[in-house]
Amino acid sequence: MTIGPDTVRHVARLAELAVADGDVDLLAAQLESIVDFVEQLATIDALPGTAVVNIGPPTLTLREDVVAPIPMTRLAADLAPEFAQGFFVVPRLGGMVDE
Amino acid sequence: MSVAALARETGRRLQEAERLNATLHWSQALLDAEAARLDGLADGPLSGMTVALKDNIVTTDQPTTCASRILDGYLSPFEATAVTRLRAAGALIAAKTNLDEFAMGSSTEHSAFGRVLHPLDPDLVPGGSSGGSAALVAAGVTPAALGSETGGSVRQPAAFCGIVGVKPGYGRVSRFGLVAFGSSLDCISVFGATVRDAERVLETISGHDPLDATTHPGGSLVAAPARQDLRGVVIGLPREYFPADLHPGVRAACERTIAILRQLGAEVRDVSLPSTSHAVPAYYIVNPAEAAANLARYDGVRFGNRRVGPEADLRALYRSTRGDGFGAEVKRRILVGTFVLSAGYAERYYARAQAARRLIVDDFARVFDAGIDFLFTPTTPTPAFRAGEKLSDPVAMYLADIFVCPASLAGLPALSLPIGRDGGLPLGGQVMAPDGGDADMLAVAAVIEGAVDATGEVR
Repeated sequence: MTIGPDTVRHVARLAELAVADGDVDLLAAQLESIVDFVEQLATIDALPGTAVVNIGPPTLTLREDVVAPIPMTRLAADLAPEFAQGFFVVPRLGGMVDE
Repeated sequence: MSVAALARETGRRLQEAERLNATLHWSQALLDAEAARLDGLADGPLSGMTVALKDNIVTTDQPTTCASRILDGYLSPFEATAVTRLRAAGALIAAKTNLDEFAMGSSTEHSAFGRVLHPLDPDLVPGGSSGGSAALVAAGVTPAALGSETGGSVRQPAAFCGIVGVKPGYGRVSRFGLVAFGSSLDCISVFGATVRDAERVLETISGHDPLDATTHPGGSLVAAPARQDLRGVVIGLPREYFPADLHPGVRAACERTIAILRQLGAEVRDVSLPSTSHAVPAYYIVNPAEAAANLARYDGVRFGNRRVGPEADLRALYRSTRGDGFGAEVKRRILVGTFVLSAGYAERYYARAQAARRLIVDDFARVFDAGIDFLFTPTTPTPAFRAGEKLSDPVAMYLADIFVCPASLAGLPALSLPIGRDGGLPLGGQVMAPDGGDADMLAVAAVIEGAVDATGEVR
């Protein structure tokens, strides 16, 4: 499978990940070698709808669905880069021309 | 020794071990605070034991960075359940240890804060991703340390460093407070200078936790009665783990150990796990896919040191935060994970990886159902390799985990213990057990530990 610079840029956009122009060719080559390596599974018949393998306890033990105080030693306002009037502050969405 | 003296002695040893770059955070003041806390506590099962923590396990008194610039200086608002249980049992928390960034790697070279040196040879890697924890235990700084496994990140460095590394069965230890990486695989795991050290820690941290729904109800590990020998135990040797090109030192160590298993009374049988070759490729689909999803939270808004791009737009903020904050291996995994889940490729890659995982689970079930109690294999195909040797070839690095990632994919308990040395370098033997067999596996490992010359040359 050939992975070129355009595929790397496309996948990086999907992943919301800035990739420096100078890194794109190396990443394309490395991704291609990884994808070629995992391609060996093509010999396996994957039936459509193969059940996801569930590892761990057969049933999950859930907590009671009640609102309880969260035992946090620091408040959200102390964790957030910007916090005002009970909200996380972020730049506006939509200023950037997207593909 | 008083706890105050233990705290001072631990500080002295940590200072001495600084050359290994195995720690990301510790201070004498924090050690003294731990001693003061323990002074007021009744004796517990881990009193007098110091334990180091891989820096992807959160604590409130020290930063948790996952060895990533994106979390540099991050202070968690809560503490991991495993740490709370260690502290309550009387353990003294010694340090936060270095790792491959977000636990992605097999050599601890992918840390944003520099690589960890192998305690026996600074030119070698200690293995990874829990290389800092492994190096500290191997250097005699602490008798035990927590690491985490996603695909062998405790057993592999344990083998490289000549100590014990135990991955419990999936769901045995709460992951509340373990920074998520590959959620269907992640397990807090334990290093010990001896099998018993690791077992004591597991007895303390295992068991159901209401804060982690994937923990087994009643999953507390209760140590099995000590064994004198291995009479009545059937041990399988899967032929796929002994390929023709296996490192001759690793082969010699395993052959010597297998002879000891027989002398101890075990019945040893050749078995086959035919889907073993699918494990690494399946793992490197499932793992990046889960990583790409789990690491979406590091966006400069919910988590992660914010970088605002020149456009000052929300998506530019996400992209520059992640582009600046993540290192090369993390970016590779996010890109691979996003690719294998993207439209047109999910069936081709992810569905096949799920099918491969099913085959691997079925392989193990077949041999354990056929009367095999445990499996014995080498932990790694080679002893510790040189720093830089595999850095430019991700696939070569991934293949260092070829013998450890099958048990991770199947969620089974497995451990590595030292079984000899070759040219001075430690070699590990792996014991794998069926689901729920953690305690019996540890009892068997303790017998092997007592009979094998772990530091003697094997050829």
